[in-house]
Amino acid sequence: MSNSAQLSVSRRAFLASAGATAGFAFAIGVDGLQRVANAGTAASSAKPNIWVSIAASGKIRIIYPATDLGQGSTTALPLMLAEELDANWSDVEVEQLNVDDRRYGNPKFGMVRYTAGSSAVQGYYMPLRLAGAQARSMLISAAAAHWAVPEDRLRTEPSAVVDHETGERLSYGEIAALPELATTRVPDASEALLKPTSDFRLIGADVARIDIPAKSRGAYQYGVDVRVPEMLYATVVRAPVEDETPISVDETGALAIPGVLRTVTLPDGVAVIAETQEAALFGKFALSIEWSETSSSRGNNSDQDLIDYAATAEDLSQDGAVWRETGDAGAAVGGADRQVERTYLSDYAYHAQFEPMGAVASVENDGASAEVWIASQTQSWSLRTVTETLGIDAEQVTLHMMPMGGSFGRRTELTQPYLRDALLTSKAVGRPVKVLWTREDDVKFGAYRPAAAQRMIAGLKAEGGLQGWRHRVAAPSVIAYFNPLRWAQVEPQDIITMRGAENKFYDLGDMRAEHLITDRRARLAPWRGIGAAYTSFAAEAFMDELAEEAGADPVEFRLALLKDNPRGRWLVERVLEMSDWKRARDGTALGLAFAGYGDSMAAGVAEISLDRESGVIAVKNFWTTVDAGVIVSPDNSLAQIEGGVVHGVGSALKERITIVDGEVQQNNFYDYEILRIDETPEIAVDIAQVDAPPTSIGEVSTPVVAPAIANAFFALTGRRLRHMPFTPERVLAALA
Amino acid sequence: MTRLTVNGSAVEIDAPPETPLLIALREHLGLTGSKYGCGAAMCGSCTVHLDGAATYACVTPIGDVEGADVRTIEGLSENGDHPVQLAWIAEQVPQCGYCQSGQIMRAAALLEENPRPSREEIIDAMSSNLCRCGTYVRIVKAVERAASEA
Repeated sequence: MSNSAQLSVSRRAFLASAGATAGFAFAIGVDGLQRVANAGTAASSAKPNIWVSIAASGKIRIIYPATDLGQGSTTALPLMLAEELDANWSDVEVEQLNVDDRRYGNPKFGMVRYTAGSSAVQGYYMPLRLAGAQARSMLISAAAAHWAVPEDRLRTEPSAVVDHETGERLSYGEIAALPELATTRVPDASEALLKPTSDFRLIGADVARIDIPAKSRGAYQYGVDVRVPEMLYATVVRAPVEDETPISVDETGALAIPGVLRTVTLPDGVAVIAETQEAALFGKFALSIEWSETSSSRGNNSDQDLIDYAATAEDLSQDGAVWRETGDAGAAVGGADRQVERTYLSDYAYHAQFEPMGAVASVENDGASAEVWIASQTQSWSLRTVTETLGIDAEQVTLHMMPMGGSFGRRTELTQPYLRDALLTSKAVGRPVKVLWTREDDVKFGAYRPAAAQRMIAGLKAEGGLQGWRHRVAAPSVIAYFNPLRWAQVEPQDIITMRGAENKFYDLGDMRAEHLITDRRARLAPWRGIGAAYTSFAAEAFMDELAEEAGADPVEFRLALLKDNPRGRWLVERVLEMSDWKRARDGTALGLAFAGYGDSMAAGVAEISLDRESGVIAVKNFWTTVDAGVIVSPDNSLAQIEGGVVHGVGSALKERITIVDGEVQQNNFYDYEILRIDETPEIAVDIAQVDAPPTSIGEVSTPVVAPAIANAFFALTGRRLRHMPFTPERVLAALA
Repeated sequence: MTRLTVNGSAVEIDAPPETPLLIALREHLGLTGSKYGCGAAMCGSCTVHLDGAATYACVTPIGDVEGADVRTIEGLSENGDHPVQLAWIAEQVPQCGYCQSGQIMRAAALLEENPRPSREEIIDAMSSNLCRCGTYVRIVKAVERAASEA
C-alpha cells in the first residue's frame, strides 16, 4: 500500500514531494478526494463568470470563496450555484479562493473576504444562484446557436441541454468545446433567470458533504499539516502579560540542544528556530528570558473586572451607546406599577479550537516577497498581515488558505500574530518556517469572549403585563481590539459585544438596549454566538424572573410577547410539544428559552438533574427548534445545531478563563474543560419549514442553552443562577 | 535511532528518544492524519494503536516504545473502508474533522476488543477523546452503526 512506499523514501525526498502538493491550491471533488488544483489549464472551457468554468471534459469547477472551519459550506456554497446551473453534482469540483479579490466578497461583510457570523449561505445565496443561472443561460444560447434553433424551446437536464422537439442533446462539456461559444453573449445575471424554488433538486436535499470522506481517512490537509522543502520549525515563548517585552534572553540552554539553530526576538516573545519540530519544542523549554514588568495589564484581575463592570451596569447615571431603542423605555419602566431589576454576570471564555495556531511562511528576497500557508477565517486580513508585517505589496504575496481544525471566531483578527511570527522568523533565517503554538500558548495568549455584567430592568403593569424593557450591557468593545479599522467605521455600534440584546423577535414595546463600553482587560475576539452567548442568557433568565414576579406562567408570558410573530410562536409551541413540557418529572426539571441570532430564531428546552452534594448539574435532554429560512443543507444544518447545543452546554456549565495580575490562570484542557461525550445530553432538533431566504445556522442554537438551563434550575430548586458558567461552587452558593 | 513498525512497515526514526511518537509520525514520517491538540493526553486527537491498544501518541516518547507495532489512521484500512470509517461517512460525523482521526482510532480499538458494545460502553470508551465541534451525538450513532454492520 501507499504508506509503505512513502515510508521507504528518505525524509528529504518525502518533504519535497509533500511540498509539491502543498505548493498548489487545494481542490475537492464531490467524491471527497482532495486533489491538486490545475485551474485554467483546460484546453477549452466555458467561463461564463468569475465563479464557474466548465471544461470540455465535463468537469465543472466552482470557486469556494469562504474558508473551511468545519461548517460545511465547502458543500453548501457550490451547491447553490450548481442548482441554478442545473449541474450534475458529481461533475463538480470545488476550488478554494486564495486571493483577496473583493469581487468574491460576502455582501454581508461589505465584500471583505471574511468567513464569520454564520453568514456564508445567507450572504452568497443570491450571488451564487445568479452566477449559476447566468452560466446555464449562456450554455443554452450556445447550444441554440449550434443547432440554429430558438433558445426558448431548449431545456436543461443535469449537465446537458436538450431539444425535446428533435431529441438532440449536448452535454455541458460538449458545449464547452463548441466554436459557437466564442461568440455567445453572456446574459446579464438576472433574477428572471432563476428557477422557481419548487424546482430545486440540490438545495434542500441531503447531499453528502464533500469534505467528509477525506476527514474520515486522515487525508484532509490542515494548516499545521503543511510541509515544504527546506522548511524549518519555530516555537515561540510569549510574554506572560500583554504588552511586556523581552529584556534579555539567555539562549545557552536552547542552543545546546542538537538541531536548534538560533533564536529570534519578536516584539512580544522569543522564537526558537530548529531543524526539527522536537528540537524547536525542547528549545522553547530551555530558554531563559527576563521580561519587562511595566505593563498596565498587570493590573488586570478578572474577579475585580466583573465587580467593576457590574457597578457600571447598575449606575443608571451612566448612559451607554444605544444598540436598539423603541419608544421611551425609561419613562415606561418608571411609570409602571412595579419595577424589577436583576444583574447577570458572565466570565471570559476561550475558543478551544482543536488545531493550534500556526502558519508556514517562506519569505524570499530578503523580505521582498512571500508565500504563506495559513488557516484563517479571512483572506483579506491574512493578506494584510503579510503586507503590513513585511511592508510589501499584495502582488508580492502568494496566499494559500488552508482548512482550519475549528475556529469559532479565533482566527478573525485584523493582525494575526501567529502568521506574523512565521513571517518574521522566515525572514530572519531566509528559509521557510513553520510556526506552531502549543496548546498552552493558545490558552494563555488566546483572545477571549469578553467578561460582561448586564443590568436588566423592566416595568410590570398591575395586571402583570410588561411595561418597558432596559438591557444595559457593561463590557468592553470586542471590535475596537480585534479590528480597529472596522471600529473606526462602526464606533460605537459593536455587534460582536452586543448581538442578542436587540431582542427583536419579541414585541417588547418601549425598549432600550445599550452598551456601556468598559475598559478592555484581556485580549478579545468573537466567540461562537458572539454577544448573544451572554446577552440572551441575561434576557431569557430575566424573562423567567419577570414571569415569576408577575405571577404568570413563563410560557404564557413569552407567548404574549410573540403574539405578532407566528413563526416565533411556532418554535416555542413545537419545542414544548417535543419536550412533553407539562409531564411531571421525578428528580429532573425543564426550563425554556427563546432567542434570536441575527435573522434566525431558536427555542430550547433543557431537562436537568442536580447532585446537591457536589453542585454538579447534568443536562439530560435538550430539545431545540430553529427557524433559519430555506435550509440549503438539511443534514448539515442538524449537525451544526447539535454542535451549537454542545458548545452551549459547555459554556453554561464549565468554561471559564480567569486572570490574576494580568496572567491567564488556565493552561490546557485539564484546567479549561470543554464538554465531554459523557456529559452530552440527548439532543432533538426540529427545523421550521418556511419559504424565506436562508439566514444563519451555525451559531443559532448556542444562545438559548444557558438560559434554558438556568430556568430549569429554578424549576428544580426555586433558586436562580445569575453568573455563567454555573460551576459547582456557584450552584452550591445558590442552594445555600 | 528508534526502530518501529508503522502500518506494517519497518521504520527507523532519527530523533532523540524523548521525542513524542506523534511528532515522529507527523514530521519524520509524514503521516499527518494523527493530530496535535493538547500534548497532554487530554483530547485524544493523536490517538493511534500501539500494539493494538488505543494510545495517546502525544505523550508517548519513542524511546519507550522501541520495537512496537504502531497503526495510524493511514494504516487502518487500504482504501478508507474500515467499518468505522464507513460509519463515520454514513452518519456524516466530521465537522472540522481535526479530532476525527483520533475518534476513529479509538472507536476501532473499542470494537476490536468488544464487537458489540452497549451504548454505555461506547460512551465510556469514547470519553477519552474530545470534540470541540460537538459531534458527540453522531459519534455514538456511528459506533453503533459500525458495530451492527461489521
